[in-house]
Amino acid sequence: MSTTEPSPTLRTATFTCVRCGLTVSALDPDGRGRDHCPSCLSSRHTVDRVDGGASGCGGRMVPISIAVPRSGAWVLIHRCTRCDELAEAAVAADDNHLVLMRIAVRPLADPPFPLDLFGEV
Amino acid sequence: MARRNRDRRERRPQRPKTVLHAHGEAGRTGSFRCAGCRLEVPATAPGTSHRNHCPHCLTSLHVDLRVPGDRAADCRGPMAAVSLTSRADGEWMLVHRCARCGGLSVNRVAGDDNARALVRLAVRPLAGAPSGFAAVARDALVRL
Repeated sequence: MSTTEPSPTLRTATFTCVRCGLTVSALDPDGRGRDHCPSCLSSRHTVDRVDGGASGCGGRMVPISIAVPRSGAWVLIHRCTRCDELAEAAVAADDNHLVLMRIAVRPLADPPFPLDLFGEV
Repeated sequence: MARRNRDRRERRPQRPKTVLHAHGEAGRTGSFRCAGCRLEVPATAPGTSHRNHCPHCLTSLHVDLRVPGDRAADCRGPMAAVSLTSRADGEWMLVHRCARCGGLSVNRVAGDDNARALVRLAVRPLAGAPSGFAAVARDALVRL
């Protein structure tokens, strides 16, 4: 069972959010590794998704949308403000619900066509 | 309103098309076949000069690697539309995820995209929201 338990070093590790400066524990309440700030949901560009491995960019990544795969859990899509690369991250249990909700309803708040016509279709 | 005007002015201009596209996709005939529903789609679209997805089922093809239009990816897997995001000026952007390698890409919606499919994507997070979110989502939708 010791393999599933995170090491004490990891359990007490923290990082500082690049946007809001909050000191965040490296593990979320479910014991998984955390890659974005639970308060402002910003992340840092450290992993290169295209080639794999570490990325030298290190730019701030802002959450742009929420995807829902078949499993039903929310997945956050991040975009790097420096090099425009995209990344996805699972939503943790203690992520800020207000910010999540804001990202989820943002497209609906400003639709390119009138949504009230959908009631008639 | 002032914020929106500023965003519109400062928008980066569209990148010029520098790569010669392959004959199969939209080169010779000016149309491509959708990887998802096999619909024959003309490459010209109202509202955008960079159509990369089917207007009917919103499926795309994984051909670009880092910069949109570079045609450097060897994957060529079908990319399903997973979510919608909106720009500061209100333009809707589609987020695609490759079914083969998990790569992500963003493209602006075209003028003839299926409105029902777009709205279905937009409300998907709210429909499958964790318990407690549903009431908030309904409230937000009513206020729109």
